[in-house]
Amino acid sequence: MSHDALGAALAAIVGERQVLVRPSELLVYATDGLPGYRKQPGIAVFPRTRDELVQVVRLLAREGVPFVPRGAGTGLSGGALADGSVLLGLNRLTRVLSVDAENRLAVVEPGVVNVHLTRAVAPYGLHYAPDPSSQAACTIGGNVAENAGGPHCLKYGVTLNHVVALTVILPDGDIVTLGSADGERDGYDLVGCFVGSEGCFGVALDATVRLTRNPQAVRTLLADFTSMDAAARATSAIIAAGIVPAALEMMDQATIRAVEASIYAAGYPTDAAAVLLMELDGLEAGIDVDVEKLRTICLDGGARAVRIARDEGERTRLWQGRKKAFGAMGRISSHLVVQDAVIPRTRLPEVLRLIAQIGAAERLSVCNVFHAGDGNLHPNIPYNANDPDESARVHRAMRAIMRACVDAGGSVTGEHGIGLDKIDYMPRIFSPESLDAMCRLRAVFDPARRANPGKVVPVRSCREWTQAPATR
Amino acid sequence: MRESDGSGDKMLSGGGPGAPAAFRSPLRPRDTADVADAVRDAAALGVPLRIRGAGHWLDAGRPVPASACVLDVSALRGITEYNPGDLTLTAGAGTTLAEIDEATRANGQWLPLDPAGATTATLGATLATASCGPLASALGLPRDLALGLEFVDGRGIVVRGGGRVVKNVAGFDLVRLTVGAWGTLGVITEATVRLRARPEAECTMALDAPRETGTLALLLRALREAPLTPIATELVDATFRAGNGDRGSDAVLVRLAGNAASVAAQRRHVESLGTARELPASAWDRLAAADPDGAFTVRISHRPSRVADLWHAIATATAEIEGAVRHASIERGVVRLIVPATAHEVVAPLVRCLASHASVLGERLPRAAWEALPAVTDRLSRGVRAAFDPHQILNPGLLAPMA
Repeated sequence: MSHDALGAALAAIVGERQVLVRPSELLVYATDGLPGYRKQPGIAVFPRTRDELVQVVRLLAREGVPFVPRGAGTGLSGGALADGSVLLGLNRLTRVLSVDAENRLAVVEPGVVNVHLTRAVAPYGLHYAPDPSSQAACTIGGNVAENAGGPHCLKYGVTLNHVVALTVILPDGDIVTLGSADGERDGYDLVGCFVGSEGCFGVALDATVRLTRNPQAVRTLLADFTSMDAAARATSAIIAAGIVPAALEMMDQATIRAVEASIYAAGYPTDAAAVLLMELDGLEAGIDVDVEKLRTICLDGGARAVRIARDEGERTRLWQGRKKAFGAMGRISSHLVVQDAVIPRTRLPEVLRLIAQIGAAERLSVCNVFHAGDGNLHPNIPYNANDPDESARVHRAMRAIMRACVDAGGSVTGEHGIGLDKIDYMPRIFSPESLDAMCRLRAVFDPARRANPGKVVPVRSCREWTQAPATR
Repeated sequence: MRESDGSGDKMLSGGGPGAPAAFRSPLRPRDTADVADAVRDAAALGVPLRIRGAGHWLDAGRPVPASACVLDVSALRGITEYNPGDLTLTAGAGTTLAEIDEATRANGQWLPLDPAGATTATLGATLATASCGPLASALGLPRDLALGLEFVDGRGIVVRGGGRVVKNVAGFDLVRLTVGAWGTLGVITEATVRLRARPEAECTMALDAPRETGTLALLLRALREAPLTPIATELVDATFRAGNGDRGSDAVLVRLAGNAASVAAQRRHVESLGTARELPASAWDRLAAADPDGAFTVRISHRPSRVADLWHAIATATAEIEGAVRHASIERGVVRLIVPATAHEVVAPLVRCLASHASVLGERLPRAAWEALPAVTDRLSRGVRAAFDPHQILNPGLLAPMA
């Protein structure tokens, strides 16, 4: 089917205004949240209803056309980039289909914006716990695809821990139900396989997610340190003391200054080398005992001061600074790489030192703003992507940082996914046999590899190993 | 694990008479490479393998081919890495839950997996069967606690999924794939798990539960919505209480946790909900040991709001069975029913009856009762099995559909 014919066939399903075919219209879809890559789709299509979505996927299946599902396009690994193929926009499927407040469950379409779900269930005293920084824009469907995290995942778990069931249309057009909200089912954990499959296993038509009770009491603390090392050691001490904060975030001086210079100024001390933003939640009874314990650990660990938010306004401001930190960095430079890696929590001090050295060696400024409690680093580098020399230095620094994290026993991504950006790192953390096993799993869902082709696992890993193993 | 010797004791001595010589007695690999060799050889010869950890509940009563040879992984034992500051632990599949408990207790930590049965259960089997107990609703299911796995697939290939850090989205999820697969996709050889800090203070309360279904539903709802942060909330029946010298009605056991001030306040709240008294923490060990030898168990589950209805329906269906015990994780909506071995004849019709009310999952059943449960035959499950165990030699007959 020609490009024009496919565009017309899609328009026959969803209407002409929901299909983009001209390169000029498609420019905006050539990037997602990750700078440095431009891949323009051949066509973009935006179904508005479940029925349209099913028809679109089935048309693409009949025609053997590859496609890339996309939610809000806030992803940070290039996972939603479609190189000449069809971009399947899911951000118009925005209905919360049902809420079962008593059982704390909601069924949502994939395009529901993360924070909209929390708002929709607020009247019941509930919220949706995974809270990526992009939660005001990103969609639940995208969160499911990426197994998204967020600051409060330290206590409440990542997306995987909150998805109960999924209705999925497989790339060949078959509709399957994975998991169940109505009791345990025998069989493999196919929900667990689908969550985090980065759009390579099919498209969720709806997701049944768990809701979380709003805590009775919340305390937000800001501890200010004169060295990154001390802040990192305090983090380890808090975890080792058996306290489970709802969130435990670290920001370094470069980040603090960027935030304070922006409209999101939160009142962070600009002369601090690092701050820890901590939250405790739970029952009112006893919470201040834990607050005091946290405060003492920080002060003993060298904090100059520990501030406790006095009211909801101050709490919101402290969090807004953290969640909008990436946006604030937009003032510093034209582009920003938001990196993502995980290390064992006890290795934080040494790896943060290494990252600073790597940045200095490449004459780059690294801004750290990350989920310290999980050991989930986000070393971010502001730069100008139009400067080839600076871009090359950024890429070298990123490779060195990834190597440092892997060497420390960590992983190359904690919540942003592999996508396109990290595919070359996969052989560093997985053996060829393990990569082949991933290819085999993918082939169960999408044997033709039409859904989000070229992402997550290097294709060569599949080719090399598909023939050989039986005879080895 | 939820392994037991069930009905297939003969097979403990190895493969059937028709098996090739090397497979007539149990295989006892010492390390992952041995496991890979054994599986590769078995695959080449088409010998089915039955994977064994502590050997408590080896086939759960499911029909396993008589020709299966036991692959005993209990020698893959020991904690290989434990850094308390990271709250993670890596151990061989044959390591027992008791060993992990002992190693972590010294640091005020634990692996909060408390499946029914003895703590000589192995880590590998607990994950393979996704077994868990009352702590799971608050502290995590096996799928939530497994961070990384090494396993040998049905072709003898060593595969590693996940990693050793607490947050990780690199690659497709081979960990979730393997946890709960009952060994049908791979032989788990090593696992990295997430630990939790033990609560600073705890206290277990028994709150009397009303007999009438509507009133019980209201109490369970009140408990779920109360200002409490329990790490377990388990409804137990009067038979269980009586068996522990604790006469009285059905009761909800609430395991309160937190710091001392929080536990004290929670305790007062539980007392305000009805007749309550404190029990020693050993009540939970007794609950884990509630399954007598050879007993049959099923889990009946639905949404949490349906627990009172299920509780009543199961009581009615089992009224004639002497010694039947029920307990329910009210937050997960799971009722677990234990039927003594003497009642084996009624189990199949009972399972059929229960399956008309809710989702029923067998833990250990007589053979005929397994047939009363729907088989897993969907296309993806069949595909996964074929992709990871193409020769269908891993625990054939357990869980997975045959392609």
